[in-house]
Amino acid sequence: MINDTRLAEEFVAHGRVDDCPVIDTHAHFGPYQAIYFPRWRPERVLDTMDRCNVRWLIMSAHAALVDTARGNREVAEIVAAHPDRIRGYWVINPNYPERLQRELDEFDAHAQTPGQASSPPAFVGFKFHPNQHGVPLNDERYHPALEYADARGLPILSHTWAGRGMSSHAEVREVAERFPNVRLLMGHAGYGDWEESAKVARDHEHVYLELTAAYSVRGALEIMVEHAGSEKILFGTDHPWFDPHYGIGCILSAYMTDEDRRNILHRNAERLFGLPLD
Amino acid sequence: MELFDCNCWYGVPKTPPLAPAETVDDLLGELGRAGIGRALVRNAAIWEESPEVGNALTTADCARDERLEAAWGILPPHTGELGDVHEFLDAMRAAGVRALWAYPAKHRYLLNATAMGGMLEEMQDRGIPLFLHRREMPGAQETYAVAEQVLADFPRLHLVIVAHGSWGEDRLFRPMMARYPSFAVGTSRYELDGGIEDLCRTLGPERLLFGTNFPETPMGGPILTLLHAAISDEERELIAGGNLRRILEEVRL
Ligand SMILES: [Zn+2]
Repeated sequence: MINDTRLAEEFVAHGRVDDCPVIDTHAHFGPYQAIYFPRWRPERVLDTMDRCNVRWLIMSAHAALVDTARGNREVAEIVAAHPDRIRGYWVINPNYPERLQRELDEFDAHAQTPGQASSPPAFVGFKFHPNQHGVPLNDERYHPALEYADARGLPILSHTWAGRGMSSHAEVREVAERFPNVRLLMGHAGYGDWEESAKVARDHEHVYLELTAAYSVRGALEIMVEHAGSEKILFGTDHPWFDPHYGIGCILSAYMTDEDRRNILHRNAERLFGLPLD
Repeated sequence: MELFDCNCWYGVPKTPPLAPAETVDDLLGELGRAGIGRALVRNAAIWEESPEVGNALTTADCARDERLEAAWGILPPHTGELGDVHEFLDAMRAAGVRALWAYPAKHRYLLNATAMGGMLEEMQDRGIPLFLHRREMPGAQETYAVAEQVLADFPRLHLVIVAHGSWGEDRLFRPMMARYPSFAVGTSRYELDGGIEDLCRTLGPERLLFGTNFPETPMGGPILTLLHAAISDEERELIAGGNLRRILEEVRL
């Protein structure tokens, strides 16, 4: 069913594959404006993770898209409660420049993982949402955060979407060239401009394509694999928006090898974030 | 458990999807790969050109394989393009067609009692399901407002909205499900984590019909989501195909 490979057979039979853990690199937390979520509370998040063998989930708070201080604090608390399963993105809102500066100063303190000196910090990097905040990705209001991340080689997950002037492949290319040490994750893989976005990831070692929602466009994954390679693609779900099984099922339907699928589902993120898969 | 896809198509639309399925053989190949046993199918000519053309193409192509069942498009009877209501029902009976689609935005008519009353009344009385694609009309509010008015006038009509986008629309469709027992949605884009389980618990499993939205959407997403939703096997069986099989079996032409 779905296709005839071993991964498909096992996901169909069990909903999870023990030797193919999943790292969800694009998740959220909490209720939100325009959509009802049955499964946003922490115990339900963990239940979903177990059902799909999502070993790690990296989240930003919906609240932090609105009020960064309150939302980032929420995620810090959840990571502290589940340090072996969950990490956070520190949301940046460029509309509040003084807060942004203050919050960059706080980032280092929050970045320490409670009780686990050897594993990666509580916040793996920043989350940008140019479209929700109405500030183009290449706008200089993002520069303090980009400079901070560039100096430390931090990952940044940005919402990216087709249409010049906000968060498309063109703005990503500009930022990637100006800040070569930022590891830039193109959330939704530049949704809609599939080939151009894949070429930005191909041309820049530090740019990655993240799959949330993009997997549900039939044919998009094949374009990404062809132009960027499966080593540059990361799995994500916008959880609690989407069931990980939906995204995994779409990846199983795409024409690629199980090795490609393992790269996407965990290997690339394991390497990028240094998250252990034991 | 046999999967019965309520929403897939093939053909040559003016703007092709990223990965097209131009012929019924392309569709059959993918149904086989995914393990989907039956499908309610339509040719893109139904909405891109006219049901006058697309209905016949769909019926001819579906005759080639028993996994496929043709669905047709409708138009207001007043222009006579598909005959009057009874001539159209006769044609459905002759072709063995048991499900219909409306494209009021593309075909430029009002899907309401004035334009379609005679047709909708027959459909309600005969148990013929009417499918609406959520992306056919410009926005969510408009689609559900049209659907709500149709159901207010024909409350026993089997109305099915398919392929709402990745933004969950539970706040839009659940109140209508609560009021109209024969209103359902397709699962092709019901990606919401826990959505199937939560909806089954509150409104029962009869309100969801498995569908893929192929070729725009990959078949594997809705399949794996349904297979591992936290519901009983009886509920899963109904959503996978039981609900649609029952609706079609109860159609009286
Ligand atoms: Zn997101």
